[in-house]
Amino acid sequence: MTLSSEKTLTKTEAAHLLLQMYQVRAFEEQAEKSYMEGKIHGTMHLSIGQEASAVGSISTLEPTDYIIGHHRGHGLCIAKGADLNLMMAEFYGKETGYCRGRGGSMHIADQAGGNLGANGVVGGGIPMAVGIGIGLKMQGQNRVLLAFFGDGAASTGAFHESMTLAVLFQVPVVFICENNQYAMSFPAHRWTTSERLARSAELYGMPGVAVDGNDLLAVRAAVQLAVDRARSGGGPSLVVNDTYRWRGHSKSDRNRYRTQDEIAEWQAKDPIPRFQNTLIAQGLITEEEARQIREQAYADIEAARQFAEASPEPLLETIEEGVYAP
Amino acid sequence: MTVREISYLEAVREAMTQEMERDERVFLIGEDLGTYGGAFQVTYGMLEKFGPERILDTPITELGLTGAAVGAALIGMRPIAEIMFMDFMTLASEQLVNQAAKLRFMFGGKATVPMVIRTPAGSGTGAAEHHSQSLENWFVHVPGLKVVMPSTPYDVKGLLIASIRDDNPVVFVEHKLLYKVKGPVPEEPYTIPLGSAEVKREGRDLTIIATSIMVPRSLEAAEELAKEGIEVEVVDPRTLKPLDAETIIESVKKTGRVLIVHEAARTGGFGGELAAVIAESEAFGYLDAPIVRLAGRDMPIPYNRMLEYHTVPQVENIVEKAREVAQLRV
Amino acid sequence: MATKVIMPKVDMDQATGTVVEWLKQDGDSVRAGEPILVIETDKVAIEVEAPATGILRGISAKPGDVIPIATTIAYILEPGEALPADEMPAPAPAAAPPPLEPPSLGGEVLATPVARNVAAGSGLDLGAVAGTGPRGKVTRADVEAALAGRPTAPAGDGRVYATPAARRLAREQNVDLRAVSGSGPKGRVQAADVLATAQAATAAPTPAPMPVAASASLTDLEVIPLQGMRRTIAERMTASYQSIPHITFTVRVDMTRFNEAREQLNAKAQATGGERISATAMIVKAVASTLTRHPFLNASLQGEEIHLRREINVGVAVALDEGLIVPVIRGADRKGVAEIAAEVNDLSTRAREGRLVPSDVSGGTFTVSNLGPFGVEQFTAIINPPQSAILAVGATQLEAIPDEDGHITARPIMRITLSADHRIVDGAVAARFISDLKMVLETPVLLSW
Repeated sequence: MTLSSEKTLTKTEAAHLLLQMYQVRAFEEQAEKSYMEGKIHGTMHLSIGQEASAVGSISTLEPTDYIIGHHRGHGLCIAKGADLNLMMAEFYGKETGYCRGRGGSMHIADQAGGNLGANGVVGGGIPMAVGIGIGLKMQGQNRVLLAFFGDGAASTGAFHESMTLAVLFQVPVVFICENNQYAMSFPAHRWTTSERLARSAELYGMPGVAVDGNDLLAVRAAVQLAVDRARSGGGPSLVVNDTYRWRGHSKSDRNRYRTQDEIAEWQAKDPIPRFQNTLIAQGLITEEEARQIREQAYADIEAARQFAEASPEPLLETIEEGVYAP
Repeated sequence: MTVREISYLEAVREAMTQEMERDERVFLIGEDLGTYGGAFQVTYGMLEKFGPERILDTPITELGLTGAAVGAALIGMRPIAEIMFMDFMTLASEQLVNQAAKLRFMFGGKATVPMVIRTPAGSGTGAAEHHSQSLENWFVHVPGLKVVMPSTPYDVKGLLIASIRDDNPVVFVEHKLLYKVKGPVPEEPYTIPLGSAEVKREGRDLTIIATSIMVPRSLEAAEELAKEGIEVEVVDPRTLKPLDAETIIESVKKTGRVLIVHEAARTGGFGGELAAVIAESEAFGYLDAPIVRLAGRDMPIPYNRMLEYHTVPQVENIVEKAREVAQLRV
Repeated sequence: MATKVIMPKVDMDQATGTVVEWLKQDGDSVRAGEPILVIETDKVAIEVEAPATGILRGISAKPGDVIPIATTIAYILEPGEALPADEMPAPAPAAAPPPLEPPSLGGEVLATPVARNVAAGSGLDLGAVAGTGPRGKVTRADVEAALAGRPTAPAGDGRVYATPAARRLAREQNVDLRAVSGSGPKGRVQAADVLATAQAATAAPTPAPMPVAASASLTDLEVIPLQGMRRTIAERMTASYQSIPHITFTVRVDMTRFNEAREQLNAKAQATGGERISATAMIVKAVASTLTRHPFLNASLQGEEIHLRREINVGVAVALDEGLIVPVIRGADRKGVAEIAAEVNDLSTRAREGRLVPSDVSGGTFTVSNLGPFGVEQFTAIINPPQSAILAVGATQLEAIPDEDGHITARPIMRITLSADHRIVDGAVAARFISDLKMVLETPVLLSW
């Protein structure tokens, strides 16, 4: 495949990205397992199958750049360098979690690490992304924001207003639509396609591109271009990552709106072995190194699980803390 | 300290201008703020002074512009968003209620959203159903928001500066009919703390608790009633949330009789909240009459001028009701 | 290694899952990810996948069983592996939840707990009450309806239609709300009504029994119904006189120096534009100051306790057309006489104009009643409960008084009479107080006015 960007991966970078993909996969699997054992309460929205979109996109950022995400954003957090222990503890609702157990899976954030948060409202983060972009421009430090949302959010009024304002104010934001083909049970293809979404950006007045969201390097290349554009004052772009989620919308999803065959078809396009095989083929890593990376990822998640389970619950006396700033 | 007479509207403009001069993180975002000067001319001249980089005009995008304010605040700016009519807060509500109000708590106290959202509310201009509402109680009800409702030029300047400097999302409710009202306002910047009520008039026989436009109307009613020997105490909460319950309770303990006056529709209005606060407090043992509310009728604001007039409390309604309560005829 | 197959949690609020159908049977080979079981939550079915590859063994839940989440219901074993020996099979499925209502026991009346309490409190037989609740259950309303049909004991305070302020004052002043007639809408008892009742008892002339009038024809009589403030006064006087053993002490006070001091104080007041200082105001000040040294005169017997009040709040009786009211000077010991005079003037004026408010007449700890202006030489006043004493002040008149050498001189003499509650004030205690007060009044320089 041809990389249209100048940046190529070093061995270290490649290994790191593969590790992150495995960490996302392992994290999601463990979260699912803990949930089924009744140790995690509420619900969760798993991104198994979407690892390339998260890791590939965020691999283009500097540590001082920002991301803002959505409810299916565990992978985004990990790709942005979240501490796995603190993430898992947040899922378990513990005081040691990123949000002191107050946010949980859907509302996780790491302000200090540049992750401005997940959101429980579909499309909730997009208007904020415009404002973050406005603020970044005013602050004049050449930082960019990646604003993630799904095909579900692309139909909202919030999306339309945000595209309009983003172009008006020429914000340094890359809007990334992770089209995983379904808005809960509503098939994206009934109203749009990744191509059409990408073209709609152009109608608003910003560049738009659709890529194979399960090809990490393709995602990385497309997002890199957009990031460079934003950083150099060229304004916003839209990148549509065409991908798929293996699990249901949430834990209660019975998957009645799609077939097992369809799921199997996409599972065959698993982004992790795809990336891994490319790296091995290009001689960046060996089979053995790949195996070790995988093992490391699962070990990291196991450590996170232990940390979370051993962490304390919040104290009842602190129940109302954090509603207002002093 | 130089004090001079300016209008409520000019006081709003002055507050924002002085804060923008003092703190480069403050900027405005809203519709028709720039060349147009604001729907009510509040921002007249500000574009020339601060330029389009800090006076951000937007197309019709209440949800978008409110969200933009939230996002900018999240990374350390101090935006003032304007929603042209309070009726359109409905469109802004997703970003205000689900995002601005909750981000701090949701993220374990580690996020801050220091934004102000200003909005003109109220009827009396013939603008009818979609441009005349008073919805402040909706936002009082949302944990994480603060709600301010000043009634005088002096109060509006001090409270707006305080709101801009507050690190929480503040819903700042102005009244259209108050814009042209003049009053003494110091030239220099000053703040009035949020959460402090003011006794605008002292009296022994009855406490009127009034908000926004009902404050001047209640003061006028009080002058009328004084001629009959009824001395009315008028308390202006100024901030609805956080509420200065102490001042209100002390007043009720003193007079034993309460009349609550607000423009918003009676059912589910802020008056119910005030009545409960009073009834749950020490003031309960001093009540010599039921707590009475005088509020807008439970109906949309009609177009016909006479009907519009009679939809919300006017001075004569306040006089009559206050007299009834003071004379223990309720 | 044996892998557990558990009943999974798939919904937010799910405590159990129901087994619908095993897709694989005991002994079958299964692959990881292959559906092996169908469970049901919320009436909707979902497939459960095998967590590992191996042989399905040890199924311990059958179709229809309701299993708590995370319970092991089967194992996947490697070929040749045995079931874990120390693991018990899954516990028996949860029993059906107990019915919400305990069935009524034979012979016992079906009634709500509240109904039982109310009935028991009134000695009512529940069996005699018709129940209108579900399955004939007796409810609180049923019990209350039954009670309403019986001749009722006098209603307590809770049945009187009165404002919160009225209730509080009634509590503070020991007034029985049932005896207060209400002037508010629908006969509601207002604070002023309670105040009138509370203050009506003081400073009336001694209740010498009136001779029963010879019967006359009805046209000779004017009948005034005993109600409102008058009724209240009548009841309060009776209660006080009947329950408090009064002891009375009179002393003659030489007012010469007092009058001089008064002139001086008024000269100063006039010069500075202050209030006119009345004799009553000065007496109030003197009394308050003296009370600081005699706590039992500023006290109250409450049940089994004597309450010594730290605050010295002196009430001054004011005569009205319809009766009497006693506004209170709070903290009179800490106020200067000018301040007291201003308050006395203000309160008297407002009392006569009917503009007193509850705080003006509540909290008194001692009362002063001055009938001097009417020329009364001396009289006995009835104590104003819950206070323990009252001072009746007579007129100041010139009297012929012998001095130390026996020479007769005319001096201004005022007689003051103390009535005290003998349950808590002994004769010596009262005597010490009154002689101390006499000394203060005769020697004004002792006081800082």
